[in-house]
Amino acid sequence: MSKRFPTGAGIVIIVAILSVASFINLGLLDVSRWGLAFRNLAIFSRELSPPRWDILPVLLPAIWETIQISFAGTILGFLLSLPLAFLGTHTLFNQLITTVARGLVGAIRTVPSILFGIIFVIAVGLGPKAGVLGVALYTVGYLAKIYYEAFEAVDGEVIEAVRSTGCNRLQLFRFAILPETFNTLISQLLFMFEYNIRASTIMGFVGAGGIGYYLVGYVQMLQYQHLMMAIILIFVVIMAIDLVSFRIRARISAPRY
Amino acid sequence: MNTIKPKISKPRFTDDTVGLVLRAKSLWHSYNQKNFVLEGVDLDLKEGMSMMVLGRSGSGKTTLIKILAGLIRPSRGQVEYFFDRDATPSSRVVAYIPQNLGLVRNLSAIENVLMGVLGRTPTVATMFGRFRAVDHEQAARLMADLGIGDKIDKKIWHLSGGERQRVAIARALIQNPRLILADEFVSQLDPVTSMEILAMVKKLTQNKIAFLATTHDVLLAKEYADFVVVMRNGKLIMPAAFKDMIIEEIMKDGYE
Ligand SMILES: Nc1ncnc2c1ncn2[C@@H]1O[C@H](COP(=O)(O)OP(=O)(O)OP(=O)(O)O)[C@@H](O)[C@H]1O
Ligand SMILES: [Mg+2]
Repeated sequence: MSKRFPTGAGIVIIVAILSVASFINLGLLDVSRWGLAFRNLAIFSRELSPPRWDILPVLLPAIWETIQISFAGTILGFLLSLPLAFLGTHTLFNQLITTVARGLVGAIRTVPSILFGIIFVIAVGLGPKAGVLGVALYTVGYLAKIYYEAFEAVDGEVIEAVRSTGCNRLQLFRFAILPETFNTLISQLLFMFEYNIRASTIMGFVGAGGIGYYLVGYVQMLQYQHLMMAIILIFVVIMAIDLVSFRIRARISAPRY
Repeated sequence: MNTIKPKISKPRFTDDTVGLVLRAKSLWHSYNQKNFVLEGVDLDLKEGMSMMVLGRSGSGKTTLIKILAGLIRPSRGQVEYFFDRDATPSSRVVAYIPQNLGLVRNLSAIENVLMGVLGRTPTVATMFGRFRAVDHEQAARLMADLGIGDKIDKKIWHLSGGERQRVAIARALIQNPRLILADEFVSQLDPVTSMEILAMVKKLTQNKIAFLATTHDVLLAKEYADFVVVMRNGKLIMPAAFKDMIIEEIMKDGYE
């Protein structure tokens, strides 16, 4: 006679065991190393200050480039993700077409953004052009998925009502699916732009333009005060864009009944 | 090739189909291949006639309407539509109004009405939101006839329930249909408004457009339909019973 174990408690215990095991394997519970780590961090943070305000003239154009890479990459990615999401919607197309479209989107999503950066640096050379293309593909992987899911979530009755007028797929998309999901599309697009500021920063690590290039350089040359200045600048820009974007998103996604 | 268009089979005209607009022959339907939601429904609809289907929740009314609209294919049986041989391809044969109307909330009232003419407007023009001037005029006229002439450019989410119902009716009428199928017609409105809207529909469709609606309002059905039928457990009982049916009988048969 086995007494049934509560499922919730079982899951908690399994997760706890797995966590402790991986902490030990990865050396996180090694106390002597922790001491060393804290000492190094203390030295590092002492060397971070004071930030070098005088290098702002160099960093401002660089972060402006990062913002542009993010913007252009997001827009390009958005334009590419619309048709892919259209083709990936079960409401509109048969299993074969949706599977191919979704497979492509899934494959794109598997590739880390930095790898796209490297690939496009090889393809089109160093500079922001590679960054824009990298961010664009990265964007497609996410937006297309979010979009086809939004398209499929449109109320079935609305779809049927419009279908019953004898329209075709494009018209069904234009008159039912697009207006019903418009707010979601725009708010996800803004969110992606916000998010892509970070992705664009990383693009510079591999020479695909923007402030990331300076970040890596300062780390390699141990110029921690320069590094601090760059980090403060990125922080301010990300906060500002998050704030503006949040305000806009809050406005457009206000519920309407 | 175009799988999203409702499928309607070609009619076969014979002597006993004169004056018919629709004939459903022994419709069976199951959503799960096990229990049947419709169990052999036969239905004839004549031109210009109005019929109301009563029945309690879950009896299969919506399923029947969707099959008649060509939106789902019955597991067994078939639906035939009969319309004049010279009917222009530009007029849709069947217009469908779903239970919750299926209006697009983010578009204006007249845009929702104009959706009724998508099938007869060039695709490229519609992509830019452009429609023929005659269709615009017809939409505006229908909306004025239905008493929402001043709401033309209002977004759907600005409108009251009764006004939305009128938009859905206009979207159906602009298709120049031979038959309007309406699921749970006016059931979300107060009695006075529902009577008013039904009277209006009756005036606009009289003797020209067949009208089949489901409802759970026995009084309303008796008042406005030429025929009342009751659906129970997937079967139509009292097929084509006349409107002189005594309410008590209907209640006893359909709702016990
Ligand atoms: N898409 C579906 N998939 C599976 N089962 C369904 C589906 N739609 C309806 N059913 C089932 O079929 C039966 C009949 O449903 P239907 O919607 O036709 O009833 P109804 O008479 O319109 O009810 P109501 O008055 O509540 O609208 C119900 O038991 C319902 O659960
Ligand atoms: Mg129903």
